[in-house]
Amino acid sequence: MTQATLTGAGAAPGLVLRSARRIERRRMLMWLIPPIAWFTVFMLVPYGLLFYYSLGHAEDMRFVPGLSLANFVKVFTAEPYLGVILKSARIGLMTAVFSAIIAWPLAFALAFHTRSAATKFAIYLMVIVPWWASYLVKAYAWKTILGTNGILNATLQGLGLTNEPVRLFLYNEFSVVLTLTYIFTPFAVLSIYAQLERVPTSMIEAAKNLGAGGWEIFRRIVLPISIPGVIAGGVITFSLAFGDFVAPVLVGGSDSLMISNIVINLLGVAFDWPMAAAIGLVIITLGLGLISLTGWLEEKTQVRL
Amino acid sequence: MTTGIELRDLRKKYDGHGGGAGAWAVDGVDMQIGRGQFVTLLGPSGCGKTTTLRMIAGFETPSSGEILRDGVDITDQPVTDREMRMVFQDFALFPNMSVAENVAFGLKTRRMKGRFDAAQIRRKVGEYLDLVRLGSHADKRPHQLSGGQKQRVALARALITDPEVVLFDEPLGSLDAHLRKVMQVELIRLHRELGKTFIYVTHDQDEAMAMSDAIAVMNAGKVQQFGTPREIYDRPTSRYVAGFIGHAHIVEATVADSGSSGMVVRLANGETVRLADPANVAKGASVGLMLRAEDLSLARPGEGELHGEVADSLYRGEYVEYVVELKGGAGTVHVHEPTDLEPFAHGAAVALKVNPQKAHVVGGAA
Repeated sequence: MTQATLTGAGAAPGLVLRSARRIERRRMLMWLIPPIAWFTVFMLVPYGLLFYYSLGHAEDMRFVPGLSLANFVKVFTAEPYLGVILKSARIGLMTAVFSAIIAWPLAFALAFHTRSAATKFAIYLMVIVPWWASYLVKAYAWKTILGTNGILNATLQGLGLTNEPVRLFLYNEFSVVLTLTYIFTPFAVLSIYAQLERVPTSMIEAAKNLGAGGWEIFRRIVLPISIPGVIAGGVITFSLAFGDFVAPVLVGGSDSLMISNIVINLLGVAFDWPMAAAIGLVIITLGLGLISLTGWLEEKTQVRL
Repeated sequence: MTTGIELRDLRKKYDGHGGGAGAWAVDGVDMQIGRGQFVTLLGPSGCGKTTTLRMIAGFETPSSGEILRDGVDITDQPVTDREMRMVFQDFALFPNMSVAENVAFGLKTRRMKGRFDAAQIRRKVGEYLDLVRLGSHADKRPHQLSGGQKQRVALARALITDPEVVLFDEPLGSLDAHLRKVMQVELIRLHRELGKTFIYVTHDQDEAMAMSDAIAVMNAGKVQQFGTPREIYDRPTSRYVAGFIGHAHIVEATVADSGSSGMVVRLANGETVRLADPANVAKGASVGLMLRAEDLSLARPGEGELHGEVADSLYRGEYVEYVVELKGGAGTVHVHEPTDLEPFAHGAAVALKVNPQKAHVVGGAA
């Protein structure tokens, strides 16, 4: 036994050590019970239930257990499921891209062009503070901005640019993406900032000193180094936007329902729990795939300082 | 026209909040650095040495004063146009590039476009990696290298564009003591082989003494003394420099006699020391007598010009260091004695012989 050879003083001390280790291990187990229990009750059991439900079917709004994969086939063949999943993915992707585009310069300014700690803190706070307000309030705010009697239309008419309210702003995919981008951009800012913050100022100075201009420094140093942060932020904003169901209801049009709205309808209106469970499992699987892929990409693009 | 770098009454004050705001970080620095020289800015942290270097590089804008290069004012020239290369304390290598790509960076910028083709760049990178003895590490990433190797990459990256001036901001500061010595030898070799102007910032006086053609000792934003290492060490012009460089102790004295052949100073206890130093100090003036440990030797009472008592002795391996309290409380000095001599006991009455060629006075009362 390694323990025994480690002590190197015969069997007796080795035995003492071994029993001490056993007690230590038992004590460790005690500490592990709460997280294991939590994980089992709130993760494994629900996933199991979800899988169980997905194999059955609904009859007269009642669940009938079964062992059929028909629901999964329906997700990929029957309308509107696959189409809505793809549309949700498109909205999620657009949100992720626009969030990254808005977040990057802000994160860059925060990391490199904010000398005083007070300014840095103030900007940081401004990024975070909207999260103190309810999501619903923020989504509603966009309704009042973009609506026919909203601030935007009032301003346009006031300036004489339009004679009547523009209806293109609200109740379509544009307003959904805009609202989601507004709400989730802070996540992109924080993850890109966390990555850029690792770049010492001297690295930028060294590049300038070697004769590189601003664009070259951006393209050859800062952008490549920021990629893992962009990916991490992109995964968060994509996932949050993909699964969103509030923005489509509040600012979306009749055709901008997303997959979570479908699931909610299946659960609460149609009482087709098996179908909802199947969609849920498909999305979870897609999510796992996405996280594995982006995790691998992050690993590959990450730099070590 | 002078060739090289000239600083004229250079000043820098940082505005804004935080430490040191409102004070002069650099307070009137005048300096001439000839082409091909190895000049070190030496001083404690916060003395303005790094700020001075960063102004030369163009990273900081001087509050006033001028920086000239070969007689041309470059004070307002952007960093990218200065054609001076800097080596940073934290190496500042680009982590997303290989060693070879790091070294090639300066040859591939837009402004260098067309000057070298891919084959030439490859050849030059190989050449400069060999120069810093890293030929076999070209394809590694910076994080796979040791600190010393990283600094060699930074050196190759700086030197490959063939700059006339290379700036060093405490480049060995983050290396361990042994590696620092190795790199010092390396830097001296590179300076000799390439003949570039090296402007070097450090707080390490041994480093400064060993490598430099000239040292500027800085304190509180000002150059206290600018001279060869020998001048700085043997003939400091101020108490500050005398105390900062080497292990010197300063004993208060007055000038008893002064002439062209030397002078005699009298200590507070009435004992006198003769100096060969023809310092231009008036008779009766208060001065500080600088006595370095290696310029003193111990003898039996009566055999030297100063007397005192051994307060402590420290065995240092290379030598024995005695702490001697001078008679009448005139001061304390340290003496280095060879280890093979009969040791002096604690409390023993001793005489001190002073090397008249090396003893030196610095002006003004304490």
